[in-house]
Amino acid sequence: MTNIAGAGSAPDEVDGRSVATDTKDGDKPAKFVPGQPDMWAFVLFETLLFTSYWVVYLIFRTQNHELFLQSQADLDLRIGVFNTIVLLSSSWSVARCVQASREGRFRAALTNAFLTIFFGFVFLVSKMFEWIKEIQMGNTFTTNEFFQHYYFLTSIHFLHVLIGFVVMGVVVYQLWSPARRSQQLVETGATYWHTVDFLWVPIFALLYVVR
Amino acid sequence: MSAATTETVAPRESPSGSPLHRFVWHCRHNPKRELWFAWWAMVTFYNLFVVSFFVLARAQPPPSPAVDAQGAAQWFTDNHYGVLVGMGIIFLVIGLLIAPTNALIAYSMRRMSVSRSFAYSYLAMYALSAIPGMLLLCIVLTVGAMRPDRDPELIYWLYDLAFLSFTGTMGVFLIGSLVWMVAILLDKNRVFPKWFAYLNLANALTEVVVAPAWIFKNHVFGWNGLIAWWIDMVVFGIYTGVFIMLLRKMIEREDFGTGPLPGPLPGPLQELAPSKEHDPSELTRTAP
Amino acid sequence: MSATFNKRLLVVWLVLSSMTLGYVLIDRSVDEGGTLRASAVVTVSTIVIALIKVRIIFREFMETRHAPVLLRRLTDGWVLLMALCLLGSYFVGMAVR
Repeated sequence: MTNIAGAGSAPDEVDGRSVATDTKDGDKPAKFVPGQPDMWAFVLFETLLFTSYWVVYLIFRTQNHELFLQSQADLDLRIGVFNTIVLLSSSWSVARCVQASREGRFRAALTNAFLTIFFGFVFLVSKMFEWIKEIQMGNTFTTNEFFQHYYFLTSIHFLHVLIGFVVMGVVVYQLWSPARRSQQLVETGATYWHTVDFLWVPIFALLYVVR
Repeated sequence: MSAATTETVAPRESPSGSPLHRFVWHCRHNPKRELWFAWWAMVTFYNLFVVSFFVLARAQPPPSPAVDAQGAAQWFTDNHYGVLVGMGIIFLVIGLLIAPTNALIAYSMRRMSVSRSFAYSYLAMYALSAIPGMLLLCIVLTVGAMRPDRDPELIYWLYDLAFLSFTGTMGVFLIGSLVWMVAILLDKNRVFPKWFAYLNLANALTEVVVAPAWIFKNHVFGWNGLIAWWIDMVVFGIYTGVFIMLLRKMIEREDFGTGPLPGPLPGPLQELAPSKEHDPSELTRTAP
Repeated sequence: MSATFNKRLLVVWLVLSSMTLGYVLIDRSVDEGGTLRASAVVTVSTIVIALIKVRIIFREFMETRHAPVLLRRLTDGWVLLMALCLLGSYFVGMAVR
C-alpha cells in the first residue's frame, strides 16, 4: 500500500511533489495518479460501457457479414484516418499542456490547451462533413443495421467530444488565473480528454478497418 | 468526529432492550428518523418496482415492438393478472414511497455547499418525469388489461403508448442526473465522492442512447433492444444500487451542520483521494 | 527535463500515427479494387493493433507508467479484457452464424 499512500499524499503537497522538479523519464519519478482517481474510475467504467457496445456491433456484424461489408464500402477510410490522427494530436497537445503546467509554464500550458480545443474542433467539423457526405449518398441512421451502428457509435463518441470541450473549458479556466490553478483539476481534465481519444481508436478500427 | 454521535441534539444514548423497544425509541427520539424513513422508503420502492414490473406484470424487460396487433393482444392476455396486481401495488404505494425517495436525494443537495436551486430543480424534474416515465405505463397497461375483449387494434395502440412512454421519455431523467452531477462537482461539503458525480454522467449518457427507441421497432435500438434497454438497465441498476448505499452513508455521517460532512468519504477511492477537494489555494504556484 | 518528455511525446505520436496509417496498407492488401473482402486475419490484426494503441495511450499520454502499481495493473487488465471481449465476440459470432 505504500505506493498508493504515497500517491495519496503527493497531490496535497506542492513542493513535496517530485514530478515538478524531476521529470526525467529515465529516472524514477514519484508514483502518482494523474488527476483525480475518481476520473480514472469513470474512465474505466466508460471503457467497459463502450466495450459492450462494440461487442454488440461485432456480434451483429458476424451474423450479417455481407451486408456490413458492403455498407462499409461507403465509408471513406481516409477521413477515418484523418480523424484518428487529429485526435491523437489533441492527446499529444493536452499531454504537453499537463507537463507545462506541472513545470509552472502556464503560458505554454494555456497554448497547448487551446491547441487541444482546436484539434477537437477540427475533429467535430470533419465528422459532420463526413456525416453529410454519407447522408447525401443515401446512408442514414435507418438505412440498415450497419449504419445504425455507425451513426450510433460515432454520435455517442461525438457527444463525449462535446463534453470534452466543457472539460477543457474548466482546464483553461484553471490555468488562466494564478488564484485558481489546481494541477489536479488540469490533470483530471486531461485524463478525460485522453479517454475521448482512446475510445475513438477502436471505433475507427471496428467501423472502417475490420473486414 | 465520530459519525455515530448526534452532537447537535441533546446527546442521548439509544437504549438497550428488545428490538421493538429500541425501534420505538428511535422513532421518538432519533433526530435522523425522517432521513432513515426516507431511506427505507427508497429501498422499499425499488424492491417493489422490481417485483411489480419484472416479476408480476412482466413489463420489464419490455416485450418486442415488432409484434402485430394480435401479438400485442396476446401479451395482455398472458399477463392479465400480473399487470393488474403489479400495477395496483404501484398505484397504492407510489405516493408514500416515491416522495421520500426524491426528497432524500434533494436533501443530499441541500446539505451541499451549492445553491438550493439544485435540490429544487431536481425535485421538480423528477416529480414531473415520473408521470410519463413510469405512471403512464402503469395506467395504460391497466386500462389495456381491464377489458380483455377489446378490439386488438386498440390494444395495440395502448401497447405502443405504454412502452414508448416508459422508454422514450428518458430525456427528463437524464437531466436530473446531470443536475445531481454538477451539484456534487461543485460541492465543498464532501457529501459524496467525486466518482459518483461521474457515475451520474455515465448514467445520463446511457439514457441518451435510449432516444432512438422512437424510431426503431427491432434490432438494438428498439424499446427492448440490447443497446436501448439491456445495457442501459444494467448501468441504471448499478447506479441505483450505488446511490442507495451512498445515501445511507450520508445519513450516517450527517451532523445537521452546514459545513463539510464529517467522517471518511464512502467508497474505495478514499485512500487515494486527497482530503481536501478543489481547494485552489493548496496547489497554486506563483505565476511566472 | 521537459525537453526529453516532450520529445518522447512526439515519438509516441509518430508511432501511433504510423500505426493508424498502417491500417490503410492492411486494408489495401486485402481489398480488390473498390470491393471489400472479408478477412479474419485483417479483423484480428486490426483489433490487436487498436488495443496496442490504446495501451500506448494509457502508458505514455495518460502516464500510467508513473502511476502506482494498482492503476497500471487495472489499465493493463482493462486492455486485456477488451481484447477478450472483442476477439471473443468476433470468433463466437463467426462460429454460430
